[in-house]
Amino acid sequence: MKKALFLAAKDLRVLLSDKGNIFWVFGFPVLFALFFGAIYSSAGKGPSGMKIAIVDEDKSDFSGSYVSRLESDEALSVVYLSRDEAVEQVRKGKVAAAVILKEGFGGGFEALFNNDEPRLEIASDPSRRMESGYLQGLLAKAQFEALGDKFVDREWMKGQISLWRDDMEGANDLDAEQAKLYLDFMDSFDTLLKDVNEDDFRAGFDGDMLNFAKLDVSREREGPIAPFQITFPQVLLWGFMGCTATFAISIVKERTSGTFARLRVGPIGRAHILGGKGLSCFFTCMLIMCILSVGAIAIFKMPMGNWLLFIPAVLCTILCFVGLMMLICTLGRTEQSVGAAGWAMLMIMGMLGGAMMPLAFMPSWLRRFGHFSPVKWGIYALEGAVWRNFAPTEIIGPCLVLLTIGLTSFLLGVAMLRRQDS
Amino acid sequence: MIKVENLKKRFDNIVALDDVSFEVKKGETFGLLGPNGAGKTTAINILCGLTKPDQGTVSLDGKADPTVPEVRLSLGVVPQTLALYEELSAQENLRFFGRIYGLSGRKLKERISNCLEIAGLSQRSKERVSKYSGGMKRRLNMVCSLLHEPPLLLLDEPTVGVDPQSRNLIFETIEAMKKQGRTIIYTTHYMEEAQRLCDRVAILDHGRILDMDSVENLIIKHGGPSHIEAEFEEKLSEPDKLKSFIEDKNAQFEEAKIRFKTSKPMESLAMLNRSGMRFRTLKVQTANLEDVFLNLTGRRLRD
Repeated sequence: MKKALFLAAKDLRVLLSDKGNIFWVFGFPVLFALFFGAIYSSAGKGPSGMKIAIVDEDKSDFSGSYVSRLESDEALSVVYLSRDEAVEQVRKGKVAAAVILKEGFGGGFEALFNNDEPRLEIASDPSRRMESGYLQGLLAKAQFEALGDKFVDREWMKGQISLWRDDMEGANDLDAEQAKLYLDFMDSFDTLLKDVNEDDFRAGFDGDMLNFAKLDVSREREGPIAPFQITFPQVLLWGFMGCTATFAISIVKERTSGTFARLRVGPIGRAHILGGKGLSCFFTCMLIMCILSVGAIAIFKMPMGNWLLFIPAVLCTILCFVGLMMLICTLGRTEQSVGAAGWAMLMIMGMLGGAMMPLAFMPSWLRRFGHFSPVKWGIYALEGAVWRNFAPTEIIGPCLVLLTIGLTSFLLGVAMLRRQDS
Repeated sequence: MIKVENLKKRFDNIVALDDVSFEVKKGETFGLLGPNGAGKTTAINILCGLTKPDQGTVSLDGKADPTVPEVRLSLGVVPQTLALYEELSAQENLRFFGRIYGLSGRKLKERISNCLEIAGLSQRSKERVSKYSGGMKRRLNMVCSLLHEPPLLLLDEPTVGVDPQSRNLIFETIEAMKKQGRTIIYTTHYMEEAQRLCDRVAILDHGRILDMDSVENLIIKHGGPSHIEAEFEEKLSEPDKLKSFIEDKNAQFEEAKIRFKTSKPMESLAMLNRSGMRFRTLKVQTANLEDVFLNLTGRRLRD
């Protein structure tokens, strides 16, 4: 054990003597934390400043009110263009979408409920489908809000009911009995508009038309989730991945430079040497964890969640990556080949495991592959401890998966190293 | 001290060692001389437990199986490649390897200081190895194996690619080790090194030992005759008279010069001296290990 500790101490010294290693192991995860933390900190508000082109061909009061609502939304940045210009700007990718308010858009209920001839057209950039979906929601919201303003205008409502009544009376394809039911309803509504006092009318029709309450699905906890709490598990995983790649390369470097052979002709066994490597990788990952945790708590004021669950979650994740390090170092015989193959393997694991983008953004078939990525289980275990408020029994599953992957990779790596050496 | 019996090792279709046997006595310096690819490094790797032979046995100081770490404690191996941590200083390298061999405290400090002195690196001990010259690295590479004062040293071509100054320092160090009674196995393809350092030499080619003996005996057995060229003060008026002093029937005579081969150069020169002719210049080219190798294999060592 003492010799394995000497080996580990030497590896740490070698690691810290290389600025490149320091960046990948310590610097990169911090940059990741800052970058994605900034993204997640505004995630609750949705995208901001999405540039859209407005083509107002209706030029009615209603279209003016509608457009002013879009203009006042922080999520949008509005420019006014002609139809051709707007479509061209979308094609060139300069605006996310063109919103065309056709003539008759402000035509009240007739325009709103006419499915045969929509009065609102959207031309969106096919490469920005997610933004397009978000935009449709904002457009619907603005439309409901603009309508809400009209609903409290008694004269406008009376005019709309009158137009509806004319349509109904002229409709030949409607059963007389059914038509009478509608006309009776409109008579009653007309009476209501005429007789109801102003306060009661406004209380009934004014206000948010899309109003909903959010249910909190997390267990009891102190304070809200901080943005960096969400990115913290990913940041740790990036640190561990950097460390894994660095130490896998260092094993190959030892083998190609002859120091591995020098150690092997010394009075220590192969198990000592590999154990020492594993130990130094473990210690470095722990160091990364400590630095990032202290930074997250001290600088970003991040609440740590449950420490008692965080410790086993982080230990299991680190042990998993120590095992992977041993497997990765056998992927090639030179530093270059192991560096390239190792990072490629880790990147794929990272992508599938949600270290680059949240799994929710992936198609469902791709998400299934995430189950094979230790990154996914690492993030899941750490999230469980940091902000998902897992119960102790809930964290056992991901921890067992991590330990199994780690042990299997370690044994496989040692067996392959032995085979390569012989 | 070291006993090697019937070693055989094959890498796919290449026979690296073919029935190699030798014995090295305590305090002896034994050379393995052969061209590149002769099997020298494979032999060293088997001796230090890095490679397992397909057949045969190795015994170090009476203990079998050098793959057992404890057996290797008595071994100091100087590998052919530079096996150093370039990111660390010479002192840090020595400290690390010393600790691996179980040294600590004052003893470790003393040994580090001693080894740095041997390598001539005391003044630059705190610099990173990556800043050293090739020769400095070679010297450090060697002393890293001497830290634990092993009774048995295996040196695998320790002078490859070094400057003359470092080469001499390495020779002096090995000679000092010899004086201390260490047992040394030295591989090289430089016959001058083997001739200078080794008590006995095994000529290795294509994995086989062609012969093994002291350098003198090998030269006598396989080196062939010495070449003598003598120039006299006066012209040779009676060459036939001189012919009676030399045994070489193909001797060449030119005005005041004679060239001939002999297996006993000193005796031939004494006889010529007795002839009364006065020498102006004299060149004696005795056989060496290069000739031994050439005569044994039909090839030069560095072919």
